[in-house]
Order: sequence, then structure tokens, then C-alpha cells
Amino acid sequence: MPNDPSRRRFLKQGGIAALAGATSAQAFSLKNPGRDAQDPRYIGDTKAHYAMVIDLRQCVGCQACTAACKVENAVPKEQYRTFVSEFEIGFFPHVRKGYVPQLCNHCDNPSCVSVCPTGATFKRKDGIVVVDSEICWGCGYCLSACPYDKRYFNSETKVADKCTFCAHRLQDGLLPSCVETCVGGARIFGDRNDPNSEVSKMLATFPTSVLKPYQGNAPQVFYISLDSRLEAVHKATPMLDDVVQKELGLLDKEWPKLPKGVS
Amino acid sequence: MEWMSTIAAISPMRAWGIDVPNYFWFTGSSAAAFIISSFAHVFGFKQFKPIAGFSLLLAFVLLVAAPFNLIDDLKQPGRLVNFFLYGWENFGTSPMKWGVLLLMAYPTLILAEALILYRPYFIKRMEEGRGFSRTFYRWLTLGRTSLDAQSLEKDHRLGFTLGAVGIPLALCVHGYTGYILGAVHANTLWHTPLMPVLFLASAMVSGTGLLLVLLPIFQRFFSLSQTIDRSMMATLAKLLAWFIVIDLVVRALWLSFAMPFGMQSRELLYQFFTLHFNMVVYVEYGLCLILPMIVGFSKLRHNLAIVITTGVISAVGVWLFRWNTVIGGQEIPRSMPGFTQYIPEIFGQNSIISVASNWGVFIALLAIVAVIFPWDEEMETHYQGVNNGSK
Repeated sequence: MPNDPSRRRFLKQGGIAALAGATSAQAFSLKNPGRDAQDPRYIGDTKAHYAMVIDLRQCVGCQACTAACKVENAVPKEQYRTFVSEFEIGFFPHVRKGYVPQLCNHCDNPSCVSVCPTGATFKRKDGIVVVDSEICWGCGYCLSACPYDKRYFNSETKVADKCTFCAHRLQDGLLPSCVETCVGGARIFGDRNDPNSEVSKMLATFPTSVLKPYQGNAPQVFYISLDSRLEAVHKATPMLDDVVQKELGLLDKEWPKLPKGVS
Repeated sequence: MEWMSTIAAISPMRAWGIDVPNYFWFTGSSAAAFIISSFAHVFGFKQFKPIAGFSLLLAFVLLVAAPFNLIDDLKQPGRLVNFFLYGWENFGTSPMKWGVLLLMAYPTLILAEALILYRPYFIKRMEEGRGFSRTFYRWLTLGRTSLDAQSLEKDHRLGFTLGAVGIPLALCVHGYTGYILGAVHANTLWHTPLMPVLFLASAMVSGTGLLLVLLPIFQRFFSLSQTIDRSMMATLAKLLAWFIVIDLVVRALWLSFAMPFGMQSRELLYQFFTLHFNMVVYVEYGLCLILPMIVGFSKLRHNLAIVITTGVISAVGVWLFRWNTVIGGQEIPRSMPGFTQYIPEIFGQNSIISVASNWGVFIALLAIVAVIFPWDEEMETHYQGVNNGSK
């Protein structure tokens, strides 16, 4: 009954409440609700600035970090937050192996964060770049913006996903799982703001470089003894595995590699 | 020469599929249709008066259909509201965020302009109609049911203002899609300040091409006189040729700079265009740009069948350009060796069927709008008043 006074009152009050909800400060946010609420998981350690040094002289390409990360973070099948790419560089007999352990660089100037239209991805006070999986709407702009290809759509959560430097472990005073498991001690993690941390000492002692410095992202993952020829990764022959999969007709993904490459 | 072989690497994930080039094509064609309608409404080019109203409605329908592509491209479409609510601090640095305002403001403005343009016809239908029809058309007049000289003058003034404001807005609504790609410095193919201009220039081509296809269909089968305005088709074909000239100039600027003088981009772009040589040179440029340009500038533009075919070809060509840019850009390797290759799914989200469905939505909306808006009566008045006998 449209003229029922109680119904009218209900609609009126409901309308006012809905309007108030929609226009209240909490409904719209410059950031996102978790950051607005100062949730410690969103803020991180306010005094630290976390970084990683990867000493390639120690890396043997065992992929223990890859495995540890997958288990620790329940990373879905065929997806990786960290991975060790492996190359052969040079001509026989002057050939050497090149390993490049890669993970999110937690850039100081992250391209993925600035383009995020929902504020789901952001940089915490301690420098860790994270994704709020409750807010992300899966537009993929961050995947396109990352010069390092270190983001993916998690096939289970259906949102953008990436390395978090194991923020949940740091909270409990533990190291990231890839660092803890590294057999050669190639991954060194710590607080750059603490001059006595191992990572600060390594950065002070050895010349280091970062991947794609010309992108201007200021990565916070530094490499010791990085072969600059590895920057020309697009010139490398494609992976044998891709070629074989193509030959066997096993490529059923949306974005398979071209088997012949263009080198 | 350095030589490097890959022993172990992973295939990086790429974010954007077939929905995205389709979205860009729709917004671009909408902007072009709006600008063509503004030729008459704002710049006073009388020869475009008969199609200005139709073109305006086309711009509206294209833009209403376009965002469905974006929603379908989302991995979490149910969280659409987050786009409106959160992350406003990134407004300056995330061109995608500009879409919040543009995709709301632009269709609203076109609708307002259309309601004003067709107001006298709505009043006529309101007066003729009864019951629901009468109420419906009264809504469309927004309560302004007077037809005196003062009201008509106000309509004219409002129409001019909305058209004038709409031009930069139309440029922005498509230019921002160019920004979305151009802002990505990680992508060699996309990262150029020319990207918004490239998109706008090619959009004018696709929008005019689409008009060359739809206009004869609507004039022949759904207009009052059921006659195709052949001289208008020839005019549009020549306009298309000029838009192609602009498009070619911008593309030449882009490639003649990026390929010989680009920094990291040079080598990868050579590889990219080697890989897609046939598609880009013979199909995208030769068949879909140069050929329509020749038709537009020659006497062939007076041949209706050739002109309609030209419209199809140029519209498809721009779709291919969107595809080669959005999908092609993502094929280029960044952290791992080897170009990737995109094979769209047939069914499901972001698939061939979803794009076909979007076209279905577009056609359905166009039909609904064509029924509600008396575009045929409005078109006929111009032919009777201005262009009588030249049909």
C-alpha cells in the first residue's frame, strides 16, 4: 500500500540513511579502508625500509627459493612469486651459466602503485608493496605497468598477486621464506634504515646493480655481480620447454610463447 | 655478438585480452561520431545537418555499449563499485581512474544534447500519444513542453553549448584510453606521448567508416523517404580520406621516431614489426588505410557499393590497429626471452563470444534508441529544407 504511513516513514528514513552512507567520509577514500583504519598490516614497520641483496656469486640455481615461496604463500600451480631464470651466456668453449633470481623489486617508485585505480595496491611505510585482495577488482593495469613482469592474476583468488617479502613472517620476526631457505646464502634481507643490518653492510661493501635502472622505478632488490648482458634477455633463444610444448600441441594457455622467437 | 640461451624461465602473465581493443574501438568511434555531429551543431557546416542527429545518437549508443567490455575484462566484476569509492589519491597518475568521471559525464552530455535536439519532436509525439506513450514522451521533454520562439532559441543555445563542451569531452573520453597505454613506460610499443593522438586520429577513421555503413542501412530501410543520400555518402567518403591522411601523418611521426631513434625500444620494435610485417603493412596500412584514402579522393566515392565497402574496410582496419597495439604491445618480452602470442578463448569471459555479445548489445541499443528518438523525421526536415532534390 503506497500510502501506508509506516512504509513511507521507512522509505524516507532508509533513503536518508542510504544517502548519508553514500556521502560519508568513509564511503569514499583517497586510499582504501584498511589504510584509513591504520590497520598494522597495511602500515607495516614505520621505522624500517626493507630491501634485499642477491649475491649472484652464491646462487647455484637450485630453485629452493622458488619451492619455499610456493609452499609458504600457497601460490597456485604454474604461478610464481619468485623464480630463478637460468641462461647460458657466450659461445663454446667460453660459456658460463647465468642465474637471475627474480621477485617483486618493491620499487621506491613503483609503477604498479601509481596506476592502480582502486587503491588496492600500495606501498607500506616499510617499503613493501602489497595488494589488498579484498579491494582489487582485477583490471590488470598493474600487471601491464610492472616493467619486471612480477605480478600475475592469482588463479584462485582472481586478483592481482605478487611477492610481499613474506610480510606475514616479518610481523612475527621471521625472515622471508626464500631467504631462510637459500642454500648458498645468496639472498640477504633486512632493513636499509639500520646501518648495522646485513643488507646495509652488503650495500656499503659491494657494488650492486638493479634490473632495468633506466625504467626509473628505483628497485629495492639489489644484485651483486649481475652480468649486464642479461639485460638483453629478449635476445636469448626461447626456452626449450616452450618449443617442445608447441611441438606436442600442449600450449593451451591464452598467452603462450612463440616457439621460434625472433632473435 | 653476445649469445644467450635460455635454460629455465617462466611465461609472464599478460593482463588484457580481446575486450580491451574492442572497448577502445567503441569509445573512439563514439568520439568521432560526436565530432561529426558537431560539424553541424557547433561549427555550422550545413551539409552535415541531415546526419548530425543520427550521428549524435550513434555516439551515445556506442559509448553506452563500450564500458561493458571493461566490466567483462575485470577478474572481479562484482567489485566495480571499488573503482568509484577508493584509490582517489592515484587520480593524477592512473589514467584508468579518469574514466570514472569521463564515462559518466560524456554519455550524460550526449543524452542531454539529444534530448534538447529532439524536444520539438517529443512534444509532437506527446501531444499525439495517449496513456503511457504520452507520459513517456513528457519525461523525455524534461517538462519543457513549450514550442514558442523563446524556448526554441533556448534549445538552440543549449545545444550549441553542450556541443561545444562536448567536443573537448569527446576528445578526452577517447584520448584517455590512449593515455592508459601511453603512460605504461614498461611497454615499448605503448610508451609514447603520441598514443592519445594516434588513437584519436584512427578513431576519426573508424567512426566515419561506421557511419558509411550504418547511414545507408538506416536511410534505405528505416527513414521516411527510404532513400540513400548519395551525395552525403560521397562527402563522408572524402572526409574519411582526409581523416586517413591525418592518421597516416601521426603514425609516420610515431614510427619514424620510435624505430630509428628510440632507446631500448628500437630493437624490440624492429623485431615486433618484422613479426607482424604482413599484417601491419599490407592489411592495416595498404588495404585498410591507403585504399580507402584513394577511394575517398577519387571519383570512386560516388559509387555507393564501393563506398560502403570502404567504410567496412576502414572500420575493420582501425579495429586491427587497436588489436595490434593492445595485444601486440603485450607480446613484446620484458623479463623473459621470446615474444608471446595471444589466442582468445571462444567462450567465457574476455572471449570472442563476449565481444560478439557486446556488438549484439550495441545493435539492440541502437534499435531501441532509433525507435524512441524521431531521428527519421528530423533528418527529413533537413532534406526538405536544405537539400531538396539532390538525394
